[in-house]
Amino acid sequence: MMGNLNNYLVLAEKIFGVLGAIIYLIFALVIVKQVGTMSKNIKDKFNGLLIIFSYIHLAAAVLLVFIAWTVL
Amino acid sequence: MSRSLDLDTVAPDDQVETKPIENIEIKKKENTQESVLGKNLLIADETEKELITEEKRGNNASDTSQNDDNLDKKIYSIVGHTTSPFSSLLIKPHVFDFEERDSDEKIILVARPHWFTNVSWIITAVVLALAPSLLKFVPIISDIPAKFQMMGIMFWYLITFAFSFEKFLSWYFDVYIITDERVIDIEFNNLLNKKFSEAKLSMIQDITSRVTGVAQTMFNYGSVYVQTAAEVPEICFEMVPNPEKIIKVLQILREEEEREALEGRVK
Repeated sequence: MMGNLNNYLVLAEKIFGVLGAIIYLIFALVIVKQVGTMSKNIKDKFNGLLIIFSYIHLAAAVLLVFIAWTVL
Repeated sequence: MSRSLDLDTVAPDDQVETKPIENIEIKKKENTQESVLGKNLLIADETEKELITEEKRGNNASDTSQNDDNLDKKIYSIVGHTTSPFSSLLIKPHVFDFEERDSDEKIILVARPHWFTNVSWIITAVVLALAPSLLKFVPIISDIPAKFQMMGIMFWYLITFAFSFEKFLSWYFDVYIITDERVIDIEFNNLLNKKFSEAKLSMIQDITSRVTGVAQTMFNYGSVYVQTAAEVPEICFEMVPNPEKIIKVLQILREEEEREALEGRVK
């Protein structure tokens, strides 16, 4: 009985973790899109660097989903 | 003799006085020579006119370039030159550009909020970044499984990075642009909200500035309110450095615009 409950708790944790990571991934995608739009509107010296940072952030968000899926 | 030389009224039996062909040919030649001479004279006149108009154009161009040079000197004498690429005031920037700029429009000044406005979020970001290392001293944390701790820390750092990045982007892309034609305010709020407002220099009615509080007085930054007769009643340059210098630049540009209107040089 307790073992089953524990299993359900672990599953719920995993679902919550993965869902949270997916929501964060969507947010990271929005940032990438928005930085692209901003850079198109306003062109300045550091636009390239900001785009790179947004993609690094997106990669980290993808990694978070992967870790949430495998580790939790 | 014929009754009339008018060919329409000549009867078939009338004897029309004819001139010898040679004379006609000679006259034709004379006429053609005259016409060639006339044509040459016309061409000469046209080229002379073209040269005069080109000279006038050249004079106008040199006048406008001289005016531009004088305007540049005035602006540089007021605001100075840009020293750092992260400066909140970019004077006649070479790299900066924006999508809505007309091809012949010149950017005079680009202003961003003063660097001091970033201090609050930088402090917050530093505290957020240091927080996980402080959690070691909280006894309950050790009871949480390692994999959850790792996930939580990773999530925490990502959120900290996203927070700092969003704040930086909001500062970096919040620009106030003064061109030789208009005043523009481009704002991006919370990554999902873009605002673009502009007013022609000739539509500006009143300019006021406000510097309030200790920080603004210490670091000399504040807001410049540009009231216009355009659709957007007011354009506000928020927290820009040296508001008095921005007002002076706007005054000079307005005077220049009025002079252009008087001289008929309006684009």
